[in-house]
Amino acid sequence: MLYLSTISWLQEGPFALYRWNSLKEDLPLFFHAFLYTIGISLGALALAFVLGIFFGILSATKNKGAVFLSRIYVEFFQNTPLLIQIFFIYYGLPLINIVLPVYLIGILCVGIYHGAYIAEVVRSGIGSVPRGQSEAAASQGFSYWETMFYVVLPQAWRMMLPPLTNQLVNLIKNTSTIAIISGADIMFTANSWSSMNLNYVPAFAFAGILYFILCFPLAKWARHMEEKNKKAYSR
Amino acid sequence: MDFSQQMQQLFTFNNMKFLFSGLLTTLYISGVAIFLSMIFGTLLAIFRNMQKGILKILATIYIEIVRNVPNLLWIFIIFLVFRLKSTPAGIISFTLFTTAALAEIVRGGLNGVSDGQKEAARSQGLKESQIMLYITLPQAFRSMLPAIISQFVTVIKDTSFLWSVLALQEFLGKANILMGRYAQTGQVFMLYGLVAIGYFIINFALSSLSRWLSRNWAKAY
Amino acid sequence: MKISKKIMLGMLLSLSLITLFACSKKEATSDKSNDSSSSNSQIQKIKDRGVLKVGVKEDVPNFGYMNPDTNKNEGMEIDIAKLIAKEITGSAKNIEYTGVTAKTRGPLLDNGEVDMVIATFTITDERKETYNFTTPYYEDQVGFLVKKSDDFSDIKSLDGKTIGVAQSATTKQALEQKAKELGISFKYLELGSYPELKTALTSKRIDAFSVDKSILSGYVDKSTEILDDGFSPQEYGIATKKSNDEVNTYLNKLIKKWQKDGTLDKIIKKWDLN
Repeated sequence: MLYLSTISWLQEGPFALYRWNSLKEDLPLFFHAFLYTIGISLGALALAFVLGIFFGILSATKNKGAVFLSRIYVEFFQNTPLLIQIFFIYYGLPLINIVLPVYLIGILCVGIYHGAYIAEVVRSGIGSVPRGQSEAAASQGFSYWETMFYVVLPQAWRMMLPPLTNQLVNLIKNTSTIAIISGADIMFTANSWSSMNLNYVPAFAFAGILYFILCFPLAKWARHMEEKNKKAYSR
Repeated sequence: MDFSQQMQQLFTFNNMKFLFSGLLTTLYISGVAIFLSMIFGTLLAIFRNMQKGILKILATIYIEIVRNVPNLLWIFIIFLVFRLKSTPAGIISFTLFTTAALAEIVRGGLNGVSDGQKEAARSQGLKESQIMLYITLPQAFRSMLPAIISQFVTVIKDTSFLWSVLALQEFLGKANILMGRYAQTGQVFMLYGLVAIGYFIINFALSSLSRWLSRNWAKAY
Repeated sequence: MKISKKIMLGMLLSLSLITLFACSKKEATSDKSNDSSSSNSQIQKIKDRGVLKVGVKEDVPNFGYMNPDTNKNEGMEIDIAKLIAKEITGSAKNIEYTGVTAKTRGPLLDNGEVDMVIATFTITDERKETYNFTTPYYEDQVGFLVKKSDDFSDIKSLDGKTIGVAQSATTKQALEQKAKELGISFKYLELGSYPELKTALTSKRIDAFSVDKSILSGYVDKSTEILDDGFSPQEYGIATKKSNDEVNTYLNKLIKKWQKDGTLDKIIKKWDLN
């Protein structure tokens, strides 16, 4: 005890033990935030997937207008900050009487933003499948979209999976942006809770751990798949 | 107030200069961060590529932890734990984060250099460190430049967090300050539009360069 | 030979960077040890340095504001900072401004990045435990900025509405207390900066933007008004490090002097406050 009490940084300052104790008391708060982040991530993922596959296939057509349209979508959202898109919908749209709740803004903005990245993954995935495959499908009377969904995409799936998983990791990380417009996610909870009681270190350390738990296994798995693919194709 | 009046109020020389100075801050912070990250990222990549040893373990831990936690959280942590002014806090947090991302890019580049090259160099009597510096890194750099430029785009985009977190007056921050003054609907929309276009022009130019390089230059050898 | 020079340069560069990081850390720790002794004069240090480092607001018109037209800091708090700089270093020009927010001012003071914070910093008992405050140089109360078209008349009419407050400010606690007294309730929205809050009001994200009235006065325009109702008196003091009483005593003397000889009143009038 005597020894412990001489370690002053355990008694006072940002790392003090009592600060961690108060974290334990407010654990349900963080648990709720954890679920909120997962919810937003799932919603955004579903949206990003739909948009990504749609625009990815569109950009692989021979129709110039369709290709141009999907280029605009991809380039615009890949080259402007997510936060501006969020600000615009949060602050801008209500001025013309469109008021969306924060969680919906999170799903919409993060989903549309990552849809642009997934579209690129899908595009290069389609490009990796030999042209003969779709020609054969077309000769069997498949339409363009049918060819894509039944023939090309299933074959490209294995190549696409690692980059898609990496996108999911980035997507989860980017949901933290809605903390800036006070969405009740992990980041906002850590920030708001700690600005009340000044327990910054436990709050942000714990928030970091929560994000890590979500992201690390996915990132690891993506890398594992990538290695496997490399081996399979380098034979 | 009609639209043209609103615009007259907004588009003064001083307001535009004010906004532009924010853009310069954005570019300055991203530029310094990406430059430092390239140095540290290369070191980290070399460490992680070692056969074994404490450096390999440390580099691996650093990269995994940093990459799997949001950038925004690092900005908070750097600021609150190290208690720096906003500009150094911004630069350091982006360097910290981007170093990990670049380390993985550099590592990919290093692994892509064929073993034959290294063996040839070895047979010429070059030391391992010399091989790394004269043979492997230059070739790897060439192949990974497109990815580095894409990372630059990411950094430029993400520095937009710095106003809301650190009150650092970068591009989006300046627009926010102006919005406190010019709050008419048209003005708010115009300001978001201006900032979005500003970011887009710079980032689109960089992404195009990155794409062009990966098509024409990176695979040239 | 040429290339080995390059390597040397690269190594030197990375070394210097590493030491730079290490030094900034060391500085922080040695700073702490200084605090406990606090024997060497802090004022003398500022004199030797020749520059006063002040944390000021940059988004509060009339108090501390970075004017887009001139790209200069201005406001009553800037004027006070200039007076102090003149007193210590001999010239009002020897100031290094650091922009702060409610969130950033505390940590910057802790780390010695700024000598003092003059940034609409409300004196509370809680904060007094962490920082030294001078006698108040300005008194204010919390108020509400609302849209004229919403027809709010007083605090009670805001029952059940969403109130926007700044993160890390005392406003939310004060509001909660007041609401309890009046038997009404508010919903809250916390945002990072005042301009963001103003935009939130314009875009109807919030029904009222609540913070000290003086701060609000910088954000009034044709379509918005400040409610007459105010509550919870707020006293602004200059904050310095807790560990160092010397600067605080020195500043207290100055403030008291300027209160007596009317200097402070003149500044307050100059910026149309009160």
